[in-house]
Amino acid sequence: MNLELSEDQEFFRETTRKFLESEMPLTAVRELYESADGFDRDWWRQAAELGWTSLYVPEAHGGGSLSGSPTRDAVIVAEEMGRLVSPGPFLPVNVVAAALARAGSADQQAEVLPGLLSGEEIATWAFSEPGGHWDAASVAATATPDGGDIVLSGTKSYVEALGVADRVLVTARTGDGLTQVLVPTGTPGVTVTRGRSVDMTRRFGKVTFDGARLPLAAVVGEVGGAGDIVEHQLEVALALQCAELVGVADRTMEFTVEYGRERYAFGRPIVSFQVLKHRIADMTHWLEGSKAVSDALAGAIDDAKPDAARLASVAKAFVGERGPDIVDECVQITGGIGVTWEHDIHLYSRRAVVDRALFGSPEEHKERVYALLDV
Amino acid sequence: MTVTEENVETLDVFGSRARAWIEANLPSWDDDEVDSHTLQNLLFDNGFAGIAFPREYGGAGLTLAHQKVFYDTAAELRRQVPSTYMVSIGMMAPTILDSASHEAKLRFLPKALRGDETWMQLLSEPRGGSDMAGSTTRLTRDGDIYVLNGAKMWSSGAYESTYGLCLCRSDWNAPKHRGLSMIAVPLQGTPGLELHRTRAANGNLGEFCEESFVDVQLPVDNLIGEESKGWSVAQTLLFHERNAVANIGYGYLGRTAARSGSAQRSNFGVLAVPEMVERARARGGSPEARQAIADAFIEETVLGITSGRIMAGMRVGTHKGQWGSMLKLQGSVAAHERARTALVVSGADGVIWDGDEVRIDNPGTTWLGCRGGTLAGGSNEMQRNIVSERLLGLPREPSFDRDLPFNEVIRNQGKL
Repeated sequence: MNLELSEDQEFFRETTRKFLESEMPLTAVRELYESADGFDRDWWRQAAELGWTSLYVPEAHGGGSLSGSPTRDAVIVAEEMGRLVSPGPFLPVNVVAAALARAGSADQQAEVLPGLLSGEEIATWAFSEPGGHWDAASVAATATPDGGDIVLSGTKSYVEALGVADRVLVTARTGDGLTQVLVPTGTPGVTVTRGRSVDMTRRFGKVTFDGARLPLAAVVGEVGGAGDIVEHQLEVALALQCAELVGVADRTMEFTVEYGRERYAFGRPIVSFQVLKHRIADMTHWLEGSKAVSDALAGAIDDAKPDAARLASVAKAFVGERGPDIVDECVQITGGIGVTWEHDIHLYSRRAVVDRALFGSPEEHKERVYALLDV
Repeated sequence: MTVTEENVETLDVFGSRARAWIEANLPSWDDDEVDSHTLQNLLFDNGFAGIAFPREYGGAGLTLAHQKVFYDTAAELRRQVPSTYMVSIGMMAPTILDSASHEAKLRFLPKALRGDETWMQLLSEPRGGSDMAGSTTRLTRDGDIYVLNGAKMWSSGAYESTYGLCLCRSDWNAPKHRGLSMIAVPLQGTPGLELHRTRAANGNLGEFCEESFVDVQLPVDNLIGEESKGWSVAQTLLFHERNAVANIGYGYLGRTAARSGSAQRSNFGVLAVPEMVERARARGGSPEARQAIADAFIEETVLGITSGRIMAGMRVGTHKGQWGSMLKLQGSVAAHERARTALVVSGADGVIWDGDEVRIDNPGTTWLGCRGGTLAGGSNEMQRNIVSERLLGLPREPSFDRDLPFNEVIRNQGKL
């Protein structure tokens, strides 16, 4: 999150934090563990009223960002959600809104964006396939034009909030190019399989297209020409995810160090032991680096910097590794209670490991950094 | 050196003025390297040296933000800036500015800022470096002069500097931190001072020097700060040193420019990323090598962005205190890892070569000395103490010598 927030952004951050603290404290997050969907629709509509879903929506459709830079605004929410491991389809809804705002037709925008904006409808993005790769080359599902229709075949996995989604933005292949199709989940030939994750509240799913047929008007952008917008969606997803991991790591370090000041052993607070202090010092530079690079990524995306794609992978490789590492070190500092259900730290570990894997692991993003070194 | 808002040139106005002057006066990055002293003279004579120093001491009377604008503009325009004053002007001059008397500032600072006299620090001793406050170099008042006896080492660049800022003990009955003084020692041709350069592990005579002082006589005016209050001067010096190493604060002297100019070429065995890629490809590009190279690039990128964030944070007030130590730690860890990566990607070619010639420009030889970076300027362990204790406010290490008269500390050695 930017160090120099505008007054509007600062107000947005405060209302977001207060809303989460009062309406979705960790006790409420725990209660959602057993629930099928992982979040409450009324609660989501309240969140939408706070502006969570308006940032990428054009003003013509009732949306708007605070600063003219939607990703810089959106990471404020993502980081706060990380701090309280909050539920809700914030990332997928905003990625779909960003895609439609940039590449959707006037009809698509008018049909879909108001529902996302109010929180009445949920949309999600289906990109990766079984095996879990988030790059264009790994897309095997096909979108084939047939007369006035587009026909989808294949399987998409790890799709967040799929079980409750009204629409899925599907990334598929047409020859050498990519095509995106906005698919209502009730379409014949579309089978949704609900799934769960290690996270307390994030639900995922798998969707199979068995020759599902949609009108060409359901194609977002050009048939075979979606490569750039898919890259943009990935960058936005990574920026929101990295900001969330920053919130996760920041909050975990806060309560762990606080605990370590009050926990005495051998007559001393445990964080007075150099062996722990030195680890906390390392975690401090991991965390500060994570904040810096996440912040830089949000700016690079909205400013359309030429190195945004590489920076997105630099950020995920760094934050996706250091964030979960910080939480892991904190479990060790917390001691035995840190591996019990009772202690909240596992809520943070859960979010951290899921975020680490989703949208590409640090190891995969290092490969992408290497490929983008321009040498 | 407080500068009130209304009488300071705005950053925009300064930026245009600096840009025009840099374009008209500074040589291009590609030109043969211009002598640093000549360049520093040029900056000083045109009001662009010591940008954040008060005018009465030879500075431009502006702020650190102006200084950053100047060096960023030079980097953007790919112009040369003096490359050798990080210690003298980035670390020592701000220490003198913060700690010395008005007279001493008038006497020392203008010449330092013009580059006509250079300064370095005499802190570590053969008995130790991290425990700096345990100094056993002896400063004795003798009538109207001081007499210095003892030894220092790891003093970078002492052989070519005008003055060394020397931490020494003036009161042996006071507790260790309260009996120290800081004094300026002229390093060239001083009777009783013997200086030689330390041979580095790579076989070269490096920048490091060792000095011995036998009854070296010094004017009392050379004292920087008050007698036996030298520890706070040393703390100030270390603060500026870490900032300079981290490339922030007064130490922001265009090393970014140097880096962007050199990013595409290797500096001795420290391989630039493109060369790592080349070597890795020549050996078939293993996944491990690709990951390690990506890591090197990622760490370098994140370090640069983090340092920008901290400079911004210092400006707007969200970052106060010892953030330079955190950056120094982050940078040292990354540089060490990078030296290891050079070994990973080079394999046998990094350590074995054709011909009878002794060579040091290879990853293997660089590896021998790369721990210098995690030790010099305060070891990683000391930086971790500073980050955890002073930045985060965690409890300090217990101390066995803090409150005892220093004489007793020495007598107690070996008894624990």
